Amino acid sequence: MILWRAGLRNALRHPWLTVLAVIGVSLGVAVVNAVDLANEASQRAFRIAAQTVAGRATHQVVGGPAGLAERIYTDIRVGRHFRGSAPVVTGNLLLKNAAGAASLQVIGIDPFAEPPIRSFSSQFADSAVLAALVGRPGTALMLRQTARELGLQRGDSFSVEAGGLSRKLTLVGLLEAPDELSRLGLASLLVTDIATAQEILGWSGRLSRIDLVLPEGSAGERLLAEIRSALPAGAAIIPAGSRAGALDRMTRAFRLNLTALSLLALVVGMFLIYNTMTFSVVRRRRLIGMLRALGVSRRQIFAMILGEALIIGVAGTVIGLVCGTLLGAELTRLVTRTINDLYFVLEVRRVPLLPGALLKAGLLGIAATLAAACPAALEATGAPPRAVLSRSAIEARRRKSVPLLALIGLLTMLAGGALLLFEGGGIVGGFAGLFAVIIGYTLEIPAIVVLAAGALRPVMAALFGVIGKMAARGVVVSLSRTGVATAAMVVALSAGIGVGIMVGGFRLTVQSWLANWLQADVYLRSSDSGGGRYRPPLDPALLQRLTSLPGAESFSLSRRVSIEGAQGGTEIFSLAVPKDAFLRYPFKEGSARDAWESFSRGDSVLLSEPYSYRHHLHRGDRVTLRTDRGERSFPVSGVIFDYGSDSGIVLMSRVAYLRNFQDREVDGISFYAREGVTSGELADQIRKRGGESRISIISNRELRSATMTVFDRTFQITGVLRIVTMVVAFVGILSALMAMQVERARELAVLRAVGLTPRQVWGVVCGETALIGLIAGLLSIPLGIAEALVLVYVVNLRSFGWTMQLSIEPAYLLQALLLSLCAALLAGVYPSLLMARSSTALALKEEG
Amino acid sequence: MRRLTAIFIAAALIGLLSLAYWSVGRQKAPEKREALGVNRILAGAPAAGFARAVAPRRFVFPRDHGPHAGFRSEWWYFTGNLTDGQGRRFGYQLTLFRVALAPQAPVRGSRWGSNEIFMAHFAVTDVAGKRFRYAERFSRAALGLAGAGGTPLAVRLEDWSALESAERPWSMKLSAADPEAGMAIELDLRSLTREILNGEGGLSRKGGRPGNASYYYSMPRMATSGTIRVGQESYRVSGLSWLDREWSTSALEEEQAGWDWFALQLDDGRDLMFYRLRRRDGSADPHSAGTLVTADGASRQLRPDQVQLEAIGWWTSPASGVRYPSVWRMRIPAHGIDLELTPRLADQELAASFRYWEGAVAVRGRAGGVGGSGYVEMTGY
Repeated sequence: MILWRAGLRNALRHPWLTVLAVIGVSLGVAVVNAVDLANEASQRAFRIAAQTVAGRATHQVVGGPAGLAERIYTDIRVGRHFRGSAPVVTGNLLLKNAAGAASLQVIGIDPFAEPPIRSFSSQFADSAVLAALVGRPGTALMLRQTARELGLQRGDSFSVEAGGLSRKLTLVGLLEAPDELSRLGLASLLVTDIATAQEILGWSGRLSRIDLVLPEGSAGERLLAEIRSALPAGAAIIPAGSRAGALDRMTRAFRLNLTALSLLALVVGMFLIYNTMTFSVVRRRRLIGMLRALGVSRRQIFAMILGEALIIGVAGTVIGLVCGTLLGAELTRLVTRTINDLYFVLEVRRVPLLPGALLKAGLLGIAATLAAACPAALEATGAPPRAVLSRSAIEARRRKSVPLLALIGLLTMLAGGALLLFEGGGIVGGFAGLFAVIIGYTLEIPAIVVLAAGALRPVMAALFGVIGKMAARGVVVSLSRTGVATAAMVVALSAGIGVGIMVGGFRLTVQSWLANWLQADVYLRSSDSGGGRYRPPLDPALLQRLTSLPGAESFSLSRRVSIEGAQGGTEIFSLAVPKDAFLRYPFKEGSARDAWESFSRGDSVLLSEPYSYRHHLHRGDRVTLRTDRGERSFPVSGVIFDYGSDSGIVLMSRVAYLRNFQDREVDGISFYAREGVTSGELADQIRKRGGESRISIISNRELRSATMTVFDRTFQITGVLRIVTMVVAFVGILSALMAMQVERARELAVLRAVGLTPRQVWGVVCGETALIGLIAGLLSIPLGIAEALVLVYVVNLRSFGWTMQLSIEPAYLLQALLLSLCAALLAGVYPSLLMARSSTALALKEEG
Repeated sequence: MRRLTAIFIAAALIGLLSLAYWSVGRQKAPEKREALGVNRILAGAPAAGFARAVAPRRFVFPRDHGPHAGFRSEWWYFTGNLTDGQGRRFGYQLTLFRVALAPQAPVRGSRWGSNEIFMAHFAVTDVAGKRFRYAERFSRAALGLAGAGGTPLAVRLEDWSALESAERPWSMKLSAADPEAGMAIELDLRSLTREILNGEGGLSRKGGRPGNASYYYSMPRMATSGTIRVGQESYRVSGLSWLDREWSTSALEEEQAGWDWFALQLDDGRDLMFYRLRRRDGSADPHSAGTLVTADGASRQLRPDQVQLEAIGWWTSPASGVRYPSVWRMRIPAHGIDLELTPRLADQELAASFRYWEGAVAVRGRAGGVGGSGYVEMTGY
């Protein structure tokens, strides 16, 4: 009991230190929790929506870019007597009304084919609802909560935009979700009759897919084979779960990167706790020594210190979880937007409280706190009472262990490096290597501090005289705390530098790639972006009008489609492009000149870099695609740089596309202006001929800046995490240095007693903290650059298959240096003020 | 009036309703359905724009075997008692319902768009195997998934169909299979009588209000042969079928709770159809009616006061807990008819979207009188 009182008193005497430690833990926990929530929420929303939409289907029949012909369904259901089948027409649309806009997934079903398949838990108030849904055109159902959020009631009309057209729909009924899970799954769904879905999506005569419920075992195999044999060449049967799985995999790298960044924040937070606990032990060495001398057992001391840590850990974790949940909502928005920009349409309507994520972050926070407190507790109990009483013994021991630490650090870094070089390690291996390098590096820091302080002593002496010399010595003498404080700062600062350089380099790479890739002067596409990366086709009549513009020298037609397969979608980008534009494409393997001939004839395809990386396909290999004529393999005549999709794309000339797919649609046209015609004039000509079509006409410059906006948006979340890490670092530096100086009160009082003025004491204190700040700032630069290298050449490559330029912006380095100096100086202010205010005698007595 | 417009709309609408309970709501669906009550749905005023059965009309065959667009509902109701060479008895029911959601077909861009949906019930009674099997299907009249019409007439719902195979004598080919329930039929039906118009020249009134009526004719005696499959076994069978054809728009009246319908083929060549409408208070509705067809094909309308009907046995469904009359005594003294009707199997309850009992019955003449076979339908219990 008395031990607890002693602990409490200790905390109360230095409330600020305790508060900072709690802040450190809570920030770390908050970031981990928030990222976890954001990842989980978006993933769950997607998965549950996919499950709700897929229902009990075991397999799906999918088609080519133009979907499936309706008769395939009637053939399966009536011709082949297989009733475990249901047609689906699905797509995305944008709902706009006074309450705002929402992107919704339309799912058009045949209710009469449904009962064995889907489980939309809907209870209609009366049977008229289904009659209206089936019998009346333009009718839809949605979840009651969604309707309420959109300010809609049963019977209301609302307009939706899909396929570049605006239509009016009537809400004829509300779906009731029996549980939270269904509510999540149904939140972004608009359920319509299949006829209505075909009409609003412009898919008359075609189906998106056919869901099948096949029995297990040999009967299922037999049916599968039978149905497969009946399918036309362009169609395939895939397991129903594979779609969700593929999309899961698609965003896995992205989510993993976020998790790693959030863990970095926790690591910095751990340093903070370690520092706080070490400090609290070191400062009470007399008390602990006395307690030990009085007969308190090691175990009791150990328990006391861990108990204190536990209290800090729990307090910090609870605060962290609350903050994390709040931050999580914001991060979810950012994550969802990125997923929408890069992968597929996803709407997360609300962030649920996920017990799993909370538990994980909570345990992580408490475990990290205890782990970080362990060294301090071991230190306090490990030494004999006499040694504990002596401060110098600790420092001496600490100094002696410096070479050993340095050796361990070196080995850890080497191990990390080896892990990074090992290709098979994947993303996880990349991050593990990165963390090993960081940890190893921090173990080197005490040695470097000793060396650097020694080296700087003459400089300090020359600049500030004795005071400067004292400051430099002080850093070395109190290595037990300066070392940790510096290491914490270095980790946090280097993370800031590393991520900053990586994003900056990526940005530059994308900019220069865009310059090569976007060569046309004006781009035209459907204004509908409800389908994410995929846009609805343009009106053929419009196409006709636009192919003979006076201001256009030439134009290219393009179509971007996704071929669904068991491994997820393969994006095919087909284009008819003029030769001189093609020649400027950024090739990674092969050359435009060599590839042009076969590419333009439709005899070969190009792969984007991520596609080549993911599928281990290179120039000279063949890529197999499912076309409307069946499986076809195409020679690869080159690999080009592309930063538009991290799943990768297959580029195909329009000739080849038309030859292999029964889809004559075009969803984008790019125009090259005639000599002397500005892009503005050209855009005007297009606009005049555009008529009523809902199209977006965008100039090269605008498209580039729009692309960069998307890019910046994508990295906004990285930016947020980087800032949080920096804040953790700042708090860490502040608390570490402050603790150190507060603890030196007696030493400083001695200095005052021997005649130093308060100003001079201030100089010693601030000189010391500034020195630590400077050393930390300088040390973080090489580690930061190393981290950037790892992120660019290992993590990004393995996550997304992208290579990018590395450009080291001095601004990031300077920023880190300034931050550390500011934090260090600020940390010196409080103890100095304290010293100046208190009486020397009291200070001597108090700590004596 | 049995499957007056009533049963049909009831069945179709309740079927729709039950579809609405996909999923989690599925287990709860039955009691919800019952709670809603057949009659309340049937009592609803029909949507404007539909044709009504208000006056007798001239029937023209074979045209009237086909669908009657403009009316809200219509059915082709086949039932029959069949026997194989060893005397193994079977009953079957194949009913195809057409229900219109709107009077006119909409003009739509999608070929899935339709104003008509079809519902079908298919049941086989395996008397020796003591097993009753049934299945229910829905589909829309689009893309060849379901529909009725054409010359020769074809009525189908997916792969269940009734196809006209000869115009004179009018013949139909029925085929239906439900692998899950383990039953199938392939039957050829040939009519042995002309079309029998029920009620007032084919206008069958079911309530006091004008328009609460249907057009109703029967083909009471159709020679049937073909195969029935139950489980893994197929049987060559023959016997007699009964076809009821009815179309209408309006529904049951508020005070009518259900009906009992009898279609009996007597061994002396006479055919008897009678339906008793039951009111909520348990009494018989005065609009109950029937038709007696003599062996020479002459038909006579039966008034409710001519027919004495008495339930002398009861059966409680283990599945639904509902108690149905099981054994009936039917007397029509004016025509020398005194019959006892016993179900060939007690359990011939269809717990489909719309729960009812419909099954094959043995007809025994009391006091040495003439017997036969038939089908009985009981709803609203």
